[in-house]
Amino acid sequence: MTLEQPLATRPPSSVAEAAEAHLDDVFGYLLYLTRDRETAEDLSSSTFEKALRLWDRFDPRRGSARTWLLGIARTTALDWFRAESRRRRREEAAALDERVEETFAEGLSPELEAALAELSAGEREVLALRIVLELDGEATARVLGISPTAVSTRLSRALKRLEERVNQG
Amino acid sequence: MSVNEIVDELRGSRPRASEALRLQVLTLSASPPPRAPSLLARLRGTRRLLLALPAAAGLAVLAATAIGVTRPAPAPVAREAVATGATAEPSIGATPPPAMFAGPAQDSAAAAQAKAPAPTTGRAQRYGATLTLGVEDTDELSAATQQALAIARDLGGYVVSVQYATGDTGAASLTLRVPSAQAAAAVTRLSSLGTILAQNVQIDDLQESLDTLDGQIERVRAQIAALTAAIDRAETAAERARLLERRARTQLELRNLRASRSGTAEVARNATIQLELRTEESSATPAPGSRLDRALDRALAVLAWEAVVALAILVAAAPLALVAVAVWLTRRTRRRREEDRLLAAS
Repeated sequence: MTLEQPLATRPPSSVAEAAEAHLDDVFGYLLYLTRDRETAEDLSSSTFEKALRLWDRFDPRRGSARTWLLGIARTTALDWFRAESRRRRREEAAALDERVEETFAEGLSPELEAALAELSAGEREVLALRIVLELDGEATARVLGISPTAVSTRLSRALKRLEERVNQG
Repeated sequence: MSVNEIVDELRGSRPRASEALRLQVLTLSASPPPRAPSLLARLRGTRRLLLALPAAAGLAVLAATAIGVTRPAPAPVAREAVATGATAEPSIGATPPPAMFAGPAQDSAAAAQAKAPAPTTGRAQRYGATLTLGVEDTDELSAATQQALAIARDLGGYVVSVQYATGDTGAASLTLRVPSAQAAAAVTRLSSLGTILAQNVQIDDLQESLDTLDGQIERVRAQIAALTAAIDRAETAAERARLLERRARTQLELRNLRASRSGTAEVARNATIQLELRTEESSATPAPGSRLDRALDRALAVLAWEAVVALAILVAAAPLALVAVAVWLTRRTRRRREEDRLLAAS
């Protein structure tokens, strides 16, 4: 298993350049987190809106544009989760489940898709960052606001659970 | 399915944004960014602090330097306590109060300008001065002692006593007599031999005493003349013998009065100057530095005060800062727990 991150390129000079380079990463991460394509698209859009507003604060010395954008995406997703949680409590209905699509990533086998659906958002986000987007431990830790060791632990657990679910199914 | 196969499948099916989303995001990103925030707005949190701390330190140093350079230096002239009447011409027969001139440390250049008060011309006065000077080392002590003796001789005076001792430090004590008319000049010249650590000049008026003695002498001389005439006129041997004895007593009184007058006149004629010389190691007061040194000293003093104030503020603010840090850490921990709960439940 190789978890190497692709070599970093020069920092983008504008949000448009960053969006062109990292939109798929942001969208993929949000899709894994929410398991809903429509929501992921909405949140991706919100993420880049915020990025445009906060572009002056982006410092390439402190991390890559991808890490910075994924950090904004995570904050945006957490806000969405909070709002969703309040809404669900208020309506006492599993609104999220209603919106979840059966296939959120094209090309995945039905067993893996089903197993992913059984994982928590926290487990899916570490898989998305480390496996799908191939961020290294440091960058993932920066996005999640935890230590690289904690990232490794979460990743191992998530992979183990995913393997169990896939093989059970 | 193994973990490696799962990983390969996950990587192989990496999600891609739809063309609609790509278009929407690229259009949004290409739009002009909101108005650029001001410099202050862009400097947030730790950056503001990082900028504010050296700026505050720079301001403090600047203020200290400005105060050090612009604040007037304390005048290097000795504080004086000259009693009124020291140099004023008193009326005949009146007894003026003693005049005192006392001063703490001052440098020699200033001393040369600040002349000691001179005795009043035409009046008999007792002039006494005590001068304590600091010199660099024992070599200078020796030279200063020699020069003091030379000054006394040069002004027509003489040396009453000299005590000279050296070791790790050195000290010399000289008692000099100079003509009263040269007393002020002597003090001024002696002052230039070192750094003045203490100075005291006392002037007592002796004119009244002299006038009294002169009056008594005249009266006694008149008595003697009267007794001499009476002796010549004495008719009996017994009366003559009584008058002769009385005249002898009066003549003795006249001699005593003349001796007393002579002594008082001698005191008024010469001033006594007590000169103490010490090496710097044994003196308590350091020599004042140059103007730049003094400015630096003042700037450092202001800086020290600023540091004290900053420390006091720090001490006062430290508990509040600790509480703020504790609150921040608690809130961050709670927020992370809440995020973990949210993500675990979704």
